[in-house]
Amino acid sequence: MKQRKALFLAVIALLPLVLVSCIGGGQPAGGWSGTTVYDGIVYAGTMDGRVVAINSSTRNLEWSYSTTPVTAPSSGLSCGQTSITAIYGTPVVDRDMVYIGTYSGQVVALNMLARRENSTFPQQRYGEWEWDCPIDNAKSNAIVAGLLVREDAIYVSSSNGRVYSLDKEFGDLNWESKVLDETHRKLWTSPVIQGNTLYVNTYDGHVYALSLETGELLDWSFESEAGFVSSPVIYEDIIFLGSFDRRLCAVTIGSDVPMWKFPQEEPAGNWFWASPVVNEGIVYAGCLDGRLYAIEAETGEKSWEFDTESPIVSSPVLMDNLLIITDESGTVYVFDLSAELEDEAVPLKAISIGASVRGSFCAQDGLAYIRGEDNSIYVVDIDKGEVSWKIPLTAKE
Amino acid sequence: MGPGDIWNLIIGNPVLNVLIALSHILGGSFGLAIIALTIIVRLISWPLTKRQLSSTKALQDMQPKIQELQKKYGKNQQKLQQEMMKLYKEAGVNPLGCLWPMLVQFPIWIALYQAIMRALATTPENLLDLAGRLYSWGTVNQAIPLNSYFLGLDLGGQGNIVLAILVGGTMWVQQKMTQAPSVDPRQASTSRIMLLMMPIMFGLLSLSFPAGLGLYWAVSSVIGIIAQYFVTGGWGYLKLRSPSEPMPVKRK
Repeated sequence: MKQRKALFLAVIALLPLVLVSCIGGGQPAGGWSGTTVYDGIVYAGTMDGRVVAINSSTRNLEWSYSTTPVTAPSSGLSCGQTSITAIYGTPVVDRDMVYIGTYSGQVVALNMLARRENSTFPQQRYGEWEWDCPIDNAKSNAIVAGLLVREDAIYVSSSNGRVYSLDKEFGDLNWESKVLDETHRKLWTSPVIQGNTLYVNTYDGHVYALSLETGELLDWSFESEAGFVSSPVIYEDIIFLGSFDRRLCAVTIGSDVPMWKFPQEEPAGNWFWASPVVNEGIVYAGCLDGRLYAIEAETGEKSWEFDTESPIVSSPVLMDNLLIITDESGTVYVFDLSAELEDEAVPLKAISIGASVRGSFCAQDGLAYIRGEDNSIYVVDIDKGEVSWKIPLTAKE
Repeated sequence: MGPGDIWNLIIGNPVLNVLIALSHILGGSFGLAIIALTIIVRLISWPLTKRQLSSTKALQDMQPKIQELQKKYGKNQQKLQQEMMKLYKEAGVNPLGCLWPMLVQFPIWIALYQAIMRALATTPENLLDLAGRLYSWGTVNQAIPLNSYFLGLDLGGQGNIVLAILVGGTMWVQQKMTQAPSVDPRQASTSRIMLLMMPIMFGLLSLSFPAGLGLYWAVSSVIGIIAQYFVTGGWGYLKLRSPSEPMPVKRK
């Protein structure tokens, strides 16, 4: 009897805890790698942690490479996942090599020929290598931001709060920066280069300038009241970044005060999560409030806006005179920038692909290559305004 | 609108936003925000807590009569239960009344667990998800992203042994203050098991749940101890060693 009573009370007390563990409060890391097209091959990261190469003519899988999973720390009574194989960055193609950073804290350099032959990784004679990012007393060494490849180096932002420069050919460490954000550590945004300087923004509201040669902090840095959420974009010595105070911030390199903030009065409906693109003096910025804003780069004045009614997570893409955006509802909007756009712009086309889009995408020769959150690649024919073809990225058993 | 959406609309998102706003108001300390939220929750549930404490006090006052019944009907459990129920009814006491404040806190535990995981955004998906849950309050948007560390504890990570001892210890004290001794050896044995089992269980759970939830449990127990001390007028059964020892009476 006493055991039953005790058991009953224990079950009553445990019930909500079992519930919270299983309902959970967080979403597991799934990744939202984007697409790159090079020489007729589409490269993307999949939700099961593979890098795939798909021939856009034959629509066949040329090769795939499985990245190393990472064991997730258990929380609560562990109903959730235990191993994660997520990729957030977009593969970077440089001649016959493909570079990618993973949530498990690795940077891998894959040789196209070696992967086609399905050789054991890494094939050093083909120039393949892998680099493990140190945890460095942080909670994680995950690489969430996209890699930046420039000349003979690769620049990596890590969740441990440091930026690393790696030798592109051998994967050797050139330098590591100091921890740039002691409070949050996470550097989830990509750096950007102007001249001999690397610019990095942090969640605690700083923009740092680092020497491209040594990784040392240079004299200038910028401090904002709000943290920065989007990767920076540079246009004529102006850095554009989205911040957590629901504004897009323009900072002139060398200045201590922001050039402008948009909107100037009331904040937008949500964060400017995606990096903006700049074309002919106009900044095109997608916002999680579902609006695309066209803003004068010099003044911060709004030229026009368009409401997609669904959060814009992915950065806009320019193709000739066309601006292409996607949203979480799975609609691709195309704007003709050569046309006179009014306050409330009207898109040239709105094409539904039926899958949410979060990762970056690319557009080339009239086609947009988009990875949907259903783990499929959609190729959208912009002229025809329809999905030309689609290929699921699910691994075959 | 599914049950999950209703839950988030009524409990999940309000708790999340209040927690983040408190964090900003309290100088960016997420730990202080959890403590402040615990105090707010305990204040809101005060009418229920007060009723529970009054029931506890009434049960304490009834102990001589209960012990008398236990002596009289100790061998006849059915009769003992009947007589005790009669006694409770006459005194207008519900012996299960003490469960209500605990049950009321269950949704708060769930919401708080979710709020901690969401607010600290351990994955990029969580951060993106957080954006959709935040109110347009200035204090909320200025607080993001949060600092997850408080007194050396990573509130989003698993609790440590110090927190586990604090959770278990404070829970034991709170229970011990209210648990009346029984002359029936079987009942006394059950009470002893429960008195130890719950604190040990929660202590161990705080090692695997986010430290923020452990902090909530510990602070909640401390508030419970303080409330009990003032409402029931003393340390209750905390100092009592044997079942035969009479209940301490506070001088007026």
